[in-house]
Amino acid sequence: MSTIAALGALESGLVFALVAFGVFMTFRILEFPDLTVDGSFPLGAAVSAIMIVSGVNPWLATLAAFVAGMMAGVVTAWMNTKLGILNLLASILTMIALYSINLRIMGKPNVALLGETTVLSPTESWGMAYYYATPLAFSIVVLVVFFFLLKFLNSQAGLAMRATGANARMARSQGINTDRMVILGVAVSNGLVGLSGSLFAQSQGSADITMGVGVIVIGLASVIGGEAIITPKTMLLALVACIVGSIMYRFAIAFALNADFIGLKAQDLNLVTAVLVAFAIVAPKLKANVSAWLARGKNG
Amino acid sequence: MIVLDQVQVTFGEGTPLETRAVRGISLSINAGEFVTVIGSNGSGKSTLLNTLSGEVHPQKGTILVGDQDVTRWSSAQRAELIARVFQDPLAGSCENLSIEENMALAWYRGKKTGFSAALNAENRDVFKQQLSRLGLGLENRLKDKMGLLSGGQRQAISLLMSALQPAKILLLDEHTAALDPKTAAFVVDLTCQIIDENKLTALMVTHSMQQALEVGTRTIMLHEGKVVFDVSGEERKDLVVADLLDLFKKNQQGEELSDDSLLLS
Repeated sequence: MSTIAALGALESGLVFALVAFGVFMTFRILEFPDLTVDGSFPLGAAVSAIMIVSGVNPWLATLAAFVAGMMAGVVTAWMNTKLGILNLLASILTMIALYSINLRIMGKPNVALLGETTVLSPTESWGMAYYYATPLAFSIVVLVVFFFLLKFLNSQAGLAMRATGANARMARSQGINTDRMVILGVAVSNGLVGLSGSLFAQSQGSADITMGVGVIVIGLASVIGGEAIITPKTMLLALVACIVGSIMYRFAIAFALNADFIGLKAQDLNLVTAVLVAFAIVAPKLKANVSAWLARGKNG
Repeated sequence: MIVLDQVQVTFGEGTPLETRAVRGISLSINAGEFVTVIGSNGSGKSTLLNTLSGEVHPQKGTILVGDQDVTRWSSAQRAELIARVFQDPLAGSCENLSIEENMALAWYRGKKTGFSAALNAENRDVFKQQLSRLGLGLENRLKDKMGLLSGGQRQAISLLMSALQPAKILLLDEHTAALDPKTAAFVVDLTCQIIDENKLTALMVTHSMQQALEVGTRTIMLHEGKVVFDVSGEERKDLVVADLLDLFKKNQQGEELSDDSLLLS
């Protein structure tokens, strides 16, 4: 793998670490299987792209992407908590609805950002090639989000949110408004995904209606893969696992597609992803089975 | 302190599975009373407790705590007034959270929470001190996951948690039922201590008539969603299990109590 390809993988890994954080919050903290992300990722991209081409400050456009993502999350959580729609179904409904909304926002299937001033424009004056500057800029963003998320998860409200996911009945008996916690958590999760979509569009130079396909699977692959490498004993380790998992995933994909002897092509990406996710889910069990088998071998 | 007035709870109203779990219970419990509640399966004991905690809302009747009408309050709203220990040791705590995190949840019960750190030197000290009174060495395992503990240890911690914030009422739903006899005795002792120290008004549901008479200051028995007898004070002091059976028979016009588990435990 060339240096540029490796840095490219690192860059995508960092952007998608934000998706991993979001997926971690819903799937792991709230035990809320949320597929809204497939819609909120392109939503963030669409909102910020259309604002940037209309001449709005790119920072403001990026913030708007975060807020738009949060709103999408609120819709999903509200349908689940207040209307009593099954969480998975509620998120699918929002995801489907967002496809139309994203087309409405952009007015066409894709918006090019080439030559526009984006949040990455200042990195041009850093005096280094873009393939170094962009990953560096993204790692700063990821670290800032990491810091705030960690602080939140260990705060009183964060603990209440974790209890909501772990044992909602107990949480209510401790005076926690669990509905409010679900809404807040799913909102923040999708806000992060929207932010990720916005940054991804700005670094790739365009927002596209199809860019959300499979984002949830990538997020899950990152979370589960990260957990397979780092046991998430504390919130700190769990968040680190998200970042590591996301970067690892990109490298695994880049390796699989670059290794000529395997014979995979770019169109095999989703197949490779699905296999990786399935493997990451089964890996802990396989590990246990293998060690049990080894132990038996020793005794027998 | 607690006044229930003609409380009725029906599940699945208007369906073929309609169950009238509580059929008009009126009860007045004074501050500081420790009421033990007995009754066979399906007598409405758990529903009565769930109605008090706010998990179930009655179709008819009102519930007053102090002079507040809490009939329509959710269980989260009532948490300020009411602490609860569940029958299932798994239900009263989060197994994926550490001991100190579980206790922190109770520490903030009914308080407004914000974005400052949930755990700090002050509350960790209190948790350690509270845990050390159990004599189980748990004060050195604050960071262990709750799921690593035995059922008895978890119930003991749930009890400590119920007393971390000044609640007025403690609800105990057969909280020793899942424990072995020795651990159950330990947990009952701890329960009495905590109720005594914090001057709580308590309701304890139990399956054992023996236990119902041994602890507490008042015993009520439910049958088919109604109170069949209610004894306290002098009248209750010298009662034995056989007397309870007689009382039941007398109040039910000669019907014999036929729940083996109630008689044998």
